[in-house]
Amino acid sequence: MSVGTHIAILGAGPGGYVAAIRAAQLGARVTVIESQALGGVCLNWGCIPSKALLAVVELGEKVKKAGPMGLQVSGPVTYNLPQMVERKNQVVAGLVKGIATLFKAWEIEHIHGMGTIQDRQTVQVKVNDDSSRSVNADAIVIATGSSWPNLPQFPIDGSQILTSQQLLDLQQIPPRLLILGGGVEGCEFASLYSALGTDVTIVELMDRILPLEDEEVSSTMTRELKKRNVNVVTGTTVERLERHGETVTIYLKNGTTLEVQKVLVSVGRGFNSRGIGLEQVGVRTGQRGEILINEQMETSTPGIYAIGDVTGKSMLAHVASAQGKAAVENIMGHRTTIRYDVIPAGIFTLPEIGRVGLTETQAREWANGGEANASVKIGRFRYTALGKAQATGDTTGWCKVIAASSGKILGVHIIGAHAADLIHEAALAMQVGATVVQVADMIHAHPTLAEGFMEAVEDTDARAIHLVRKKIG
Amino acid sequence: MIPADLRYHQEHEWTRVNGTQATVGISHFAQDALGDIVFIDLPKVGASVKAGQQIGEVESTKTTSTIYTPISGTIVKVNAELKDHPEVVNSDPYGQGWMVVIDLANAGEVEKLMTAAQYETFLSSQKKG
Repeated sequence: MSVGTHIAILGAGPGGYVAAIRAAQLGARVTVIESQALGGVCLNWGCIPSKALLAVVELGEKVKKAGPMGLQVSGPVTYNLPQMVERKNQVVAGLVKGIATLFKAWEIEHIHGMGTIQDRQTVQVKVNDDSSRSVNADAIVIATGSSWPNLPQFPIDGSQILTSQQLLDLQQIPPRLLILGGGVEGCEFASLYSALGTDVTIVELMDRILPLEDEEVSSTMTRELKKRNVNVVTGTTVERLERHGETVTIYLKNGTTLEVQKVLVSVGRGFNSRGIGLEQVGVRTGQRGEILINEQMETSTPGIYAIGDVTGKSMLAHVASAQGKAAVENIMGHRTTIRYDVIPAGIFTLPEIGRVGLTETQAREWANGGEANASVKIGRFRYTALGKAQATGDTTGWCKVIAASSGKILGVHIIGAHAADLIHEAALAMQVGATVVQVADMIHAHPTLAEGFMEAVEDTDARAIHLVRKKIG
Repeated sequence: MIPADLRYHQEHEWTRVNGTQATVGISHFAQDALGDIVFIDLPKVGASVKAGQQIGEVESTKTTSTIYTPISGTIVKVNAELKDHPEVVNSDPYGQGWMVVIDLANAGEVEKLMTAAQYETFLSSQKKG
């Protein structure tokens, strides 16, 4: 297929809208069907709004530390949450408008409605104004995403028991908040609300918070949260909760009872694969309801593609975007696949986390189960030994590099200021197959935080300059 | 810097016995090796602990190190001052820098710990190693 091809895309999140623009670049005629705001969860109720709020407390934390650095600020740092939320809404509105502008420039049609696939070439749309329309297309891309949990034992009521979407619009700082689930979202909200002055408790079922991250990341994050007086409870979950007028009483399985004003339910997300007509066209789904796709993002039904959260591959906005570009490139006759082994990701806690590739445990499992003589070497470097970190006062954090004995980089984990940006040098090195020696041989500018990655890479061969290798205690 | 009236553990914790209870902290050698201490994570009162078990962590500007309990028993007191002033462990490791008080489960365990003289020998052997 090529120029003149008409592509219908269900959903305008970071998967769908990026797919739409890429398809238009390649000469396709594109119709996007989205009943809610352009940009999806990521832009409207996820990544962007939470960062907009976190940016304010990060600034506040800096100001709180400013006195000894010689910056005089009179009066205490206080937060105006309604104003923070208002500014967050402006940031989001601006970005949503930006997508609309791009759509206009590329002549992408946006139908405000819900699409249901009727057959391989037809999408039936229930338009928001209650009219209905039929869209004929040569190919269909499903980018319907995922939705907030709705577990019977934790009934979301929008006032006391909340989803992250609802927590982003809170107008009053709650005295006490319970976060159910110590994953990425749970830890980000714990950082945000503890900085606002809320007494936060995280309850995580696994034996550590951020259970999918490297063990050292989890333990440092636990410590950093404790420094903020966050109560981190692991290895248990909520047995039941009772709602009263102003408070919620939480009974944990470990016997502890807590009383809070708000509860954030941050466990699991459901795939939006129901009610969109998959069964009518025979699109196969997996056990969890995720849409099964091949390397070209095509479903079991030729001509119908799926991308993003709904494919259950990775619940990350940037993976959805990459899948979206790949899907439409394949539709337009180009052979494109993506690599799932090099996916950088950021966690926007205080401090920030950046990650790419394997954790140390995964790397050791790989070494044990893999080729003969494969072993793993670890390099570490702490922010505190970086001139730049000392100068700016961002001395908390470290970089950890996990490499194979061959020098191949298997995974990199950074916790500290700008970690989510810094991780991309590591991701690029992995993407192009650079060895630790090649990275160490590249000159890194001084003074920068990026030197931390260079020194950690050097430390895999015990040749970091600003590190004394000796065992303490 | 090795008080004679204390007992020492190979992980560099000290123990001061007072009746059925014992106070635990980290030695001068440990604090010196760690450098400027910025955070100390201690167990909760009421926790029951076993000799050799990890009970907390000390974070310094150089590293993060585990705190082990040299003795078994129940934590009856933790030094809350260290939350805001962890640097006290650097300045006064055997005094105000104490970490926890443990209700002894087995007083005999204390006898197995090193005396000041033994700890001194242990340290010099470590330095050579």
